[in-house]
Amino acid sequence: MPEATTRSAKPGAAKAAVLNSALDGEGAGDGRSVEEIRAAALAVYESLPLPTWRRSGFWTTSLRDLDLDTLEPDHHEGGSELPAVVTDAIGDEPLAGLLVQRGASVVHAQLDPELAERGVIFTALEDALRDHPELVAEHFMKRLTYDRHKLDAAATALWSGGAFLHVPDGVVVEAPFQVVYLIEGPGTVQYAHTLAVGGANSDFRLREYDLAAPFEGPALHAGHFELYLGDGARCRLAHFQDWGGAGQEVHDVSTHVAEVGRDGHCLWMPIHLGGHLTRQHIELVTAAQGSDMRHRGIYFTEGDEHLDLFTVDLHEVGHTTGDTVWHGAATGASRASYEGLIKIVKDAQESHTYLQTHSMMLSPKAKVDAIPSLIVETDSVSASHGGTVGELDEALVFYMQARGLPRADAVRMIVEGYFEPIVTQLEDERLEGLVRERIAAKLAAAAEDISAYAAAR
Amino acid sequence: MPDLEIKNLHVRTEDREILRGVDLTVDKGEIHALMGPNGSGKSTLANTILGHPAYEVTEGHIRFRGEDLTEADPEDRAQAGLFLAFQYPVAIPGVSVANFLRMAMNANREEDITVKEFGKDLKHAAELLHVDRSFTSRHLNDGFSGGEKKRCEILQMAMLKPEIAVMDETDSGLDIDALRTVAEGVNALHRETGMGALIITHYQRLLHYITPQFVHVLLDGRIVREGGPELVHQLESEGYDFLRNEAAVDA
Repeated sequence: MPEATTRSAKPGAAKAAVLNSALDGEGAGDGRSVEEIRAAALAVYESLPLPTWRRSGFWTTSLRDLDLDTLEPDHHEGGSELPAVVTDAIGDEPLAGLLVQRGASVVHAQLDPELAERGVIFTALEDALRDHPELVAEHFMKRLTYDRHKLDAAATALWSGGAFLHVPDGVVVEAPFQVVYLIEGPGTVQYAHTLAVGGANSDFRLREYDLAAPFEGPALHAGHFELYLGDGARCRLAHFQDWGGAGQEVHDVSTHVAEVGRDGHCLWMPIHLGGHLTRQHIELVTAAQGSDMRHRGIYFTEGDEHLDLFTVDLHEVGHTTGDTVWHGAATGASRASYEGLIKIVKDAQESHTYLQTHSMMLSPKAKVDAIPSLIVETDSVSASHGGTVGELDEALVFYMQARGLPRADAVRMIVEGYFEPIVTQLEDERLEGLVRERIAAKLAAAAEDISAYAAAR
Repeated sequence: MPDLEIKNLHVRTEDREILRGVDLTVDKGEIHALMGPNGSGKSTLANTILGHPAYEVTEGHIRFRGEDLTEADPEDRAQAGLFLAFQYPVAIPGVSVANFLRMAMNANREEDITVKEFGKDLKHAAELLHVDRSFTSRHLNDGFSGGEKKRCEILQMAMLKPEIAVMDETDSGLDIDALRTVAEGVNALHRETGMGALIITHYQRLLHYITPQFVHVLLDGRIVREGGPELVHQLESEGYDFLRNEAAVDA
């Protein structure tokens, strides 16, 4: 059933506020085949209107400006050279594998042959469905849903291409697996699905980049991401979203979920550095004793961007640990909302978790929200949260100016420094460099706005 | 031409006038002490010299080697050769001491400092202030103890080699060992580079280790007494009350 009618805060009200909750709805797991699930999703897709998320009178994420009927999938032939926006972002460091989807088509799928010999699979999801049907069916949509809203259904029913990664038991891979989703034109829609599975005691890195070549006009990315880590498995996971700057109207409505097995560990870093309108549900589940997750997120909005993030730290059994830290900043007339839920279910005693979210407003017209929340259905746990929304600290600026640094340099160092403790935790130099570069460019673009704001305060 | 020249300086914050006509000249090579009870305007003067935006100069001026800096941006004052050792240094998360210092040094010179030269300077400064080299890879003042923060201020001073340093209550919150280290650092800089200093203090502790040539006493926003090092001892034994009484009689 759609969220907006099942989870009304004010029953009966037609435009009721939605209470965000952990993933709950129709998915896989009842023996249906992938085809049956997709057919069911298609029926849901056709029956629902575009969703609106309304948390309160102060926050609404609406897709009313998006005309789905005008959007078409953008098909590409494989084998051609990769566009510069992709090669610039990934650089030339060695990768365990690279998979690139342009629009609706996977155009490049490459895996280190040594890893293929050790049983690693890294390929388009549609190819994996054909070549490894049982392995895919075992995990496909295990935690994802297809009936929470129209685009949840669309991502299930209509995806093409997609990415599938399987790292077998005990396989340790140092170089990262890289997935890229690229959008190149206005009027295009991309339905994406990444499925990643780490066997027991596997250890690997996975990055998913969402990129756009410069264009003007609307486009849509509706994506599903799912990662399942077996017992003792470890993964460093990054999502890097940069759908381009002002005028580039990429809408992104996605759901990402990761499940950590017994004594497993996942460090997950979502990075949001550009998107006209983004609504993402990001859920990390510690699903067996001893599992541990670390969530480190970043966002930086500018122009008239609208970012709506909802994260869940879900503890399904006891003796699990979690730690979530988000740092965000907003310039221009952008709006950024981060809501983080810690949920500890009944019988999950001895779970310990912590969530903190910080947001920095760098412009008078920017609007940021930081909402930590807590649902604890058991006792003998520790769960705490905290959130701050602040402005640039002028005491820091003066301190640095008094050492001879011009104001713009001081502001750049302070904001970069604010993100730095998060960025460095991934221990991924290439990605760190990319994030620093993009943040510096955004600060340079917003320099006038930021000084005018300081002068007015 | 004097180096730092403060003339008839009147300063207010929001609704209150704090400095009411301060005259003070500090030349390179000179050590001045500015003393006064709490609330007399000492920190206001220190912050105003470096151009803190919360303080408004309503009358008078600040000049450095003839150049009027009264309305200058803080970075221009720093680049001219002024330095402020903060009373309460702020923490800057995510920015290492070394990285910050390199940025600050480069802002104060034409060509960027070489890695080799920077390393040499940093080693020298760290030894002078008795801090471990690992200190400089920590984030600036983030999680530092009170004593570490003050040492870090003087470390920055040693690296930036200002013409005139204003030290705002650097002695407060320091234990005796740290106090001695900081004083040795200041004396060495004074000796090696001819740095001038305006040492602002409420107590006299730091002045047991650094001997000022000139002592000024600030009371209710005005300098009410000037003299040599003997004034420090007089204040130590008699407190500020005798000056208050004198000021009351004058008024």
